[in-house]
Amino acid sequence: MTGGLAAPAAALDAEILVIGSGAGGATTAALLAEAGRDVLVVEEGPWIDQGTVRPFSLDQMDRQYRSGGVTVALGLPSIAYTEGRCAGGGTEINSGLYFRPPVEVIERWRDRHRIRDLDPDEIGAIADEIERTLNVGLVPGKATPASEILRRGAATLRWRHSEIPRWMQYPPGGDAVTGARQSMTRTYLPRAFSAGARMVTDCRVDHLVLRDGVARGATVTFGDGSHGTIRCRHVFVCGGAIQTPALLQRSRIRGRIGRTLAVHPTVKLSARFADEVNVPDDVPVHQVKEFAPSLSFGGSASHSGLVALALLDQWPTFADAVTQWRRIAIYYAAITSEGRGWVRAVPGLRDPLVTYRLTGRDRQLLQSGLARLALLMLEAGAEEVYPSFRGAPVVRNRADLATMQDAFAVSKASVMTVHLCSSVPMGELGERSGADSFGRVHGTRNVYVNDASLLPDAPGVNPQATVMAFAVRNARRFIEESQ
Amino acid sequence: MTDRWAPPSTTVVTGAAGWLGRALLHRLVTDPARHRIRVLVRDETEAGDVRPVLDASNVRGSIVVGDVADRATVDRLFDGVGADCDVIHTAGIIHPRRIHELFDVNATGTRTMVAAAHAARIRRFVHVSSNSPFGTNPDPGERFRADEPYHPYFAYGRSKMEGELAVFEAVAGGLDASVVRPPWFYGPFQPPRQTTFFRMVRAGKFPIIGGGQQLRSMVYVDNLVDGVLLAELVPQAHGRGYWIADARPYHVTEIVETVGRALRVEGFSVKDGGLRLPAIAGRIAQVADGLIQRTGRYQQQLHVLGEMGTTIACDISASRFDLGYEPRVELYEGMRRSIRWCVEQGLEL
Repeated sequence: MTGGLAAPAAALDAEILVIGSGAGGATTAALLAEAGRDVLVVEEGPWIDQGTVRPFSLDQMDRQYRSGGVTVALGLPSIAYTEGRCAGGGTEINSGLYFRPPVEVIERWRDRHRIRDLDPDEIGAIADEIERTLNVGLVPGKATPASEILRRGAATLRWRHSEIPRWMQYPPGGDAVTGARQSMTRTYLPRAFSAGARMVTDCRVDHLVLRDGVARGATVTFGDGSHGTIRCRHVFVCGGAIQTPALLQRSRIRGRIGRTLAVHPTVKLSARFADEVNVPDDVPVHQVKEFAPSLSFGGSASHSGLVALALLDQWPTFADAVTQWRRIAIYYAAITSEGRGWVRAVPGLRDPLVTYRLTGRDRQLLQSGLARLALLMLEAGAEEVYPSFRGAPVVRNRADLATMQDAFAVSKASVMTVHLCSSVPMGELGERSGADSFGRVHGTRNVYVNDASLLPDAPGVNPQATVMAFAVRNARRFIEESQ
Repeated sequence: MTDRWAPPSTTVVTGAAGWLGRALLHRLVTDPARHRIRVLVRDETEAGDVRPVLDASNVRGSIVVGDVADRATVDRLFDGVGADCDVIHTAGIIHPRRIHELFDVNATGTRTMVAAAHAARIRRFVHVSSNSPFGTNPDPGERFRADEPYHPYFAYGRSKMEGELAVFEAVAGGLDASVVRPPWFYGPFQPPRQTTFFRMVRAGKFPIIGGGQQLRSMVYVDNLVDGVLLAELVPQAHGRGYWIADARPYHVTEIVETVGRALRVEGFSVKDGGLRLPAIAGRIAQVADGLIQRTGRYQQQLHVLGEMGTTIACDISASRFDLGYEPRVELYEGMRRSIRWCVEQGLEL
């Protein structure tokens, strides 16, 4: 369904410009268009129909990720992060796992950031709508072997765990790997198009045109290098927690923009089992929440290339395992970090400079998280565990876990993250909030942020549902107030 | 209530003259079902400590004197016993003169014990371990679960880890065994170093590092005896390790305050406060402790100071669920009993 795609043109105009088409932008566009507003969505990446690229593959990284999936937040250690760069944004490439926004997190944000009219019940009701739209549910048949490993290991240790529902549609009689993800290109973007919204892909916004805090439009660059301008009366910036603050900074908007980036740092390991457990095209649906919210375990994409990548940290001793990749799956330990990062647009550079600082407690938690995850793997029957850090030993038994912890330092590990948020935090804390309680950027009259940047801190769970729920809430408030 | 075995006719106890050992022995001799108790002690002085306890009871007691790491000595403990026998292995050393003693007793001693017990085909072997094989919690909000990856705290932790590994290896080989992990304990039968603890609190000199918001799990010694006996008699404890601690961990400031309150109620004068030290002091002590231990030596005050800056807190829910363990005494009451016991012994606080 690509009916709303419009051709690039040197001059475009719309009542409302939505920048970005991921979980925040697509949702915003659908709600505004369905309210009868004239909406134009611009997306930096291409439109790629599902089914034309293999999920969780290197080809996908190349075509749907920003910079081929190689983006790094500098620091000690540096943290690799990934962003979607395509129509539908991160929803086209992520694990598809759905977590309802946790009530205690909503309450914490409301209280600590003084977010006006933030009602957990309202967010809950919106989550109900989203669940219906995205067809959220459990896997109908068998979970993948890699997922079953997490369940089994946690059950043996009596650690709290569960199957996380996904927004997938399964054919009758299908199982885990037959699902079609209900990403934005299949749900909210077609809805927006049906209601009259237009979308231009391969269109990067260079900066917003503002005068006295009022945005009049934006200047853009198309995929072929040509430039254009878009005139509009309102702007919703939904480029994700890295691109959104960078665009605001390029547009010379000041305030708490890009200085409170929050992420869920993760470390990973590979585990080898007696049987063929590797399912290249899917990720596990089970997660271990015994230590939540500070620490969670889950499964990662594990095709052969990624197995090789995961073994690279200690290649001299791990290399031989690559040939056995069909018996290997990759898992991660994620923490809620106390640290914060910065996003800084640098004149002349296409991508912003991102830095992130882990605290001492973060480092210890990553270490014990990785060790606990390795213990779980042993309990699930792993023959060998390969922790992803330089100098890591092969873990075969519990005594090796002590050796592993002695050898560990976060600075030797491949730390990465996929959940980026909080770079333009919402709330009424004066200078400490980047946007007001409904996403309007401080110091502007008509520039709104409506994506993961608004979340005041990292929610401790997969954030897509929370991003969408806030986008719906804020879009509705905008519609009410701007009739 | 969980299923339980009846007590065996013979109970073997190592470390019987130790803190836990003596508390355990006092409990065991009151159980009419336990006909014979065999104890292992290190030397004649220790034998002199436990003999009156055995003599005053109706059980048939016998004392073996010698080294827990010496197989011939240990075999004498098991002479003539069979399946109607449980072993409670409490022998351990925590504050040695030289580091190698930790490994001689805690690692080699345990290996020797499990081998001899396995050969004697006893019913259940209970090994008393520690929190130290697991290090410290990464975050004050964290609790150790029943199963955790090993991360030994210095040489003591490593020696206790090796002891546990010896037990689990024997379990894999067919021995029926369970492991009890007590954190810092307190209560009657305490050794002299605990008297120092009371004196430091009285003088307002107990070190409180970095604000004292670290959490410590502690266990009153009679709670621990309850847990040890459950780990002995609950069949499904086989092959598992259990935290035996008070119901909840305490903040360091709460410990100092509670001990002060207990001392006052028992008629002692107490100076307010505690010795407030910055977090870095604990860290420095830790580093110094590590350096000294590397030379094979051991400095108790430094070791304890280094540990005081950390959180060591465990979650006893698996012990409750599997063993039916329920701690009966909390810090304030336990400390009062401990102080009264010291007074009765004529100890100077």
